[in-house]
Amino acid sequence: MKDFFRRNGLLILIAAILLALVTAVVSALLGGTADPFSNLANILTTPVRNGINAVVNWTEEKYSDAFEQEQLKQENEELKKRVSELEEKEREYEAALQENERLRNVLELRPKERSFDELESAMVTARETSNWASTLTLSKGSAQGVEVDDTVVDEYWNLVGVVAEVGENWCTVRTLIDSDTELGGQITRTGGAAILEGDLALMGDGKLKLTFLPENSQLMSGDLVTTSGRGGVYPSGLVAGRVEEVRTDASGINEYAVIVPETDLDNLKQVFIIKDFTIVE
Amino acid sequence: MTTQDFFIKWGVYGLALLPVWFCQVFLLNRLPFLPLVPMLLPLAAVSVAVLEGAVAGGGFGLAVGILCDAVQFGTNGAMTLGICVAGIAAGALAQYLLRQNLLGCLLCSLLALIAIDGVRILGRLFWGSGELSAMLSLAGREILISLIFVFPVYALFLWVYRRVPKKTVL
Repeated sequence: MKDFFRRNGLLILIAAILLALVTAVVSALLGGTADPFSNLANILTTPVRNGINAVVNWTEEKYSDAFEQEQLKQENEELKKRVSELEEKEREYEAALQENERLRNVLELRPKERSFDELESAMVTARETSNWASTLTLSKGSAQGVEVDDTVVDEYWNLVGVVAEVGENWCTVRTLIDSDTELGGQITRTGGAAILEGDLALMGDGKLKLTFLPENSQLMSGDLVTTSGRGGVYPSGLVAGRVEEVRTDASGINEYAVIVPETDLDNLKQVFIIKDFTIVE
Repeated sequence: MTTQDFFIKWGVYGLALLPVWFCQVFLLNRLPFLPLVPMLLPLAAVSVAVLEGAVAGGGFGLAVGILCDAVQFGTNGAMTLGICVAGIAAGALAQYLLRQNLLGCLLCSLLALIAIDGVRILGRLFWGSGELSAMLSLAGREILISLIFVFPVYALFLWVYRRVPKKTVL
């Protein structure tokens, strides 16, 4: 061990301690903005990430062309049926919408408004490399006006996650199943509010939980859960997932629901970052 | 060893780290048949430490730790210190207690992975995020799957070790 101290070992250890401290302090001071070293590393690896992403997407496309045609035909038939059902529902919805507007006018209520003024399309260029978090790296960053806490959705307006770290031309999204995720949820059928929360045990299965369930909530498997939008940070009405089952926690007192996200986190290629929104309920 | 030899040697080790980094960041997290992503970068630092000793292991561990912090989200410098210490400890263990071979590397890797995940669990317990049983289960599975990859990673760095100048003077 003497040899270790004689041969600059101690200097290396001190350098490591100082570097770790500086990184921790800089990360804390910058909030969600990436520290300079992470930013540089991610900027430099952007072409590599993009190249690998293109190759992987091409391979997956070729694979599905070759082996999944039967499945796609079947899926197409099912979707046609679903479209006709939805068209019927849309007609009912239009009538209800007009009635709602008339009633709002009678009651002199402020008209409902729901607009997402600034949407930024981005490609998923990398996925989490650790088993302790669930994140995605996107191809847009502060240069495109992306900010921490911006909400990210897929092409069907399903919630993907929230921007947690922003670099020059990239950002990291904490997905909704990440164990640090916590946002307001609403059960569509009952209107009850609860908390959507990531859980380490469920994260591996690609699920999350709904906690602080309203009393006598009587949840049913398949119930839709959306974001509640309370607090105004995240927009309301984004689909988070569906209830799979209701469980009792370790204390045996509280119940929580296991939620299966609607978005397909493993196969996401393109997502949309909501930079600004206006919602009047 | 001349300064030129020194830079060539560590340049070659750096190049050998590239495929490991590539597999960790771009390949293994996309393979659907792998239930978890193995921790390859700490294994690379431990392998070099076992072969080259505590000082060189600490230096290489420092470089690998910086790389880990740059590519992983939310580690905030912890990997820089953690992998450097793991490199120093693995090098010292292999030099003075164990042997500088595959078995020594396997044992050092096991200890390093337990230490890294142990610190991670303690941190999470401190901040109150996550159940202990879930964290222990995840750490156990992660360590087991990572240990499988000790063989290819050690083989790669052993191959490099046999081809670079031996004596390191820092």
